[in-house]
Amino acid sequence: MAAKVSVSPTSLIDQIVVPGDVVLDLSNMTNQTIKLGSGLHQDNDVISAMRAGKLSFCKPNKYWVESSHKRYIPRPEDHVLGIVVDSKTDNFWVDIKGPQLALLPVLAFEGGTQRNIPKFEVGTLLYLRVVKTNTGMNPELSCTDASGKAALFGPLRDGFMLETSTGLSRMLLSSPTCPVIEALGKKLSFEIAVGLNGRVWVNSAAPRTVIIVANAMMNSESLSVTQQRIMVEKLLAKISD
Amino acid sequence: MEGRLANMWRLTVNESKFVETALQSELRVDGRGLYDYRKLTIKFGKEYGSSEVQLGQTHVMGFVTAQMVQPYKDRPNEGSLSIFTEFSPMADPSFEPGRPGESAVELGRIIDRGLRESRAVDTESLCILAGKMVWSVRIDLHILDNGGNLVDAANIAALAALMTFRRPDCTVGGENGQEVIIHPPEEREPLPLIIHHLPIAFTFGFFNKGNIVVMDPTYVEEAVMCGRMTVTVNANGDICAIQKPGEEGVNQSVILHCLRLASSRAAATTKIIREEVEAYNRERSLQKVKRHPTLAKSEVSGPTVAVKEEYRKSSDQEKAAEISREHVERLKLSPEELRSSKEQEATNFKGGPSNWDPYSEAMDVDSLKVSLASEGDSITKSSSKKKTNGSGNAQKDGGEISVEEVTGDLGKKDTKHKDGEMTLKDAVKPKKKRKNKT
Repeated sequence: MAAKVSVSPTSLIDQIVVPGDVVLDLSNMTNQTIKLGSGLHQDNDVISAMRAGKLSFCKPNKYWVESSHKRYIPRPEDHVLGIVVDSKTDNFWVDIKGPQLALLPVLAFEGGTQRNIPKFEVGTLLYLRVVKTNTGMNPELSCTDASGKAALFGPLRDGFMLETSTGLSRMLLSSPTCPVIEALGKKLSFEIAVGLNGRVWVNSAAPRTVIIVANAMMNSESLSVTQQRIMVEKLLAKISD
Repeated sequence: MEGRLANMWRLTVNESKFVETALQSELRVDGRGLYDYRKLTIKFGKEYGSSEVQLGQTHVMGFVTAQMVQPYKDRPNEGSLSIFTEFSPMADPSFEPGRPGESAVELGRIIDRGLRESRAVDTESLCILAGKMVWSVRIDLHILDNGGNLVDAANIAALAALMTFRRPDCTVGGENGQEVIIHPPEEREPLPLIIHHLPIAFTFGFFNKGNIVVMDPTYVEEAVMCGRMTVTVNANGDICAIQKPGEEGVNQSVILHCLRLASSRAAATTKIIREEVEAYNRERSLQKVKRHPTLAKSEVSGPTVAVKEEYRKSSDQEKAAEISREHVERLKLSPEELRSSKEQEATNFKGGPSNWDPYSEAMDVDSLKVSLASEGDSITKSSSKKKTNGSGNAQKDGGEISVEEVTGDLGKKDTKHKDGEMTLKDAVKPKKKRKNKT
């Protein structure tokens, strides 16, 4: 069943792969340790793609498939934006665009005790961290970092939230800073929070700035670096008139 | 239940607050002005009567089909027009498969009212046989992506599909004059529907207790707005339908303002639809012209080629399209008759030389052979006469290549025949000479 790899595996890096593509053949890579990320699957001696996207490689040994989705699959330690759906005695039910609703324990806040349980109305936007994603269970979230500090997590007030794809939010988070944000930041002052689940929150003093930034980011998804810069320059020139 | 909860789209407090505050300063979330329309693109499918409309993110597909049915008893000489909506769960997680939801029914009703009750489509022309057979036109609207303002997009999709729809031509005939003959598209050009005017729907969203009016609301705005009104108008400024759902009351002046806005926009949207349909029709007719010359070449008929050229010209002149089509049909009929008569001639003509073929199995050949044996020279002369007649016929036909081939064949057969005669005579003469010598 294992189809022979006709091309050398290294040539597939940074190429588009589709589900079923044999990405790596382990039989000729003995004495090596590799780490597989999302979208890859090991079947005996072959590693095949399970999702369509770009095969990425990071030195020394990490492989994963980079793709863009409208739906988010939760992974531990991801920073996401969630919307409060319901509040129960022990947990808040939070929508993080995943296949299931996530649970946010009422005590998962900095210095959280039964006495100072926060009150969130339905529809509150929260910046959160995914803690656990066990199969068959709802993912668990937290409003603190690993050391129990609040560290910017918590409710986001005002501003505007836009729904994008996971690919775009990853692009916005990439380092060096995404050209759109960089170019916009030179002229405008705004505040953003990007969740890996494809939600971006933008805030600024003027609603006009929020709209400009939000639309510039939405339009940048399929553009190259230079195209992004040109787009932002044109946009800024238009609004300065 | 929980799974469905996770799939629902939710509006955050931040968004609803922001949309309202931004609208206070006349700003919209997607950067448009209050009365700006999103970008409208119309595409057409390969078949007649299919359209795909994109209004910003909203994506709607329209498909028109027709069927022959018995008319309603109270309207024996009118066809019917019905609208069906399909809200795919792919478009929006809140759409559930199966039974049409409230929004699906409402959308269908608004479009139905705009199209049918304003008598935009001429239903009387859909009658084939009064009281017995009429065309029932069905419009299917598939929502492929919901980016807000489904009504407007679906309405445009329905119009575009109706305008490009062609129904097969049919005539009443038979012994008792009650039989309906449907002509396939190869035989007769399918007919378009008669559309008197284009009723175009415009949806307005109301915010801040009806004080702020917004045209073409997006998905987010639809979730935030307190009221909605759909106005269906045509380019002449006639109001075809109004739908005002939602509990929020709206001032009379606001409604009048919306009506004015709608009728000022209607002309532009009508123009876009008409231009797209025209471009599509032109492309269709050009494709048809490309297809026909190959047929013409193989069948060899001068007059029909000329017809096609004329047809091409007519297709370019879109305004006179229908009249010219009828004209072409009439023309087509006559060349077909001509062709059939010529074909008969051609078969006879082909039969001519085959009679002279000694190896053919035709009945005439034997008798001719007998006659040949009896009087050789005279018949060869008649054969040459026949040959000239035949070639004359061929030239009349106008198929030069075929004429050359046939004449070539004739020549070959004749020479063969003459050779045969010569050899016989040659064989006889020396005998006589020998006899004389001896």
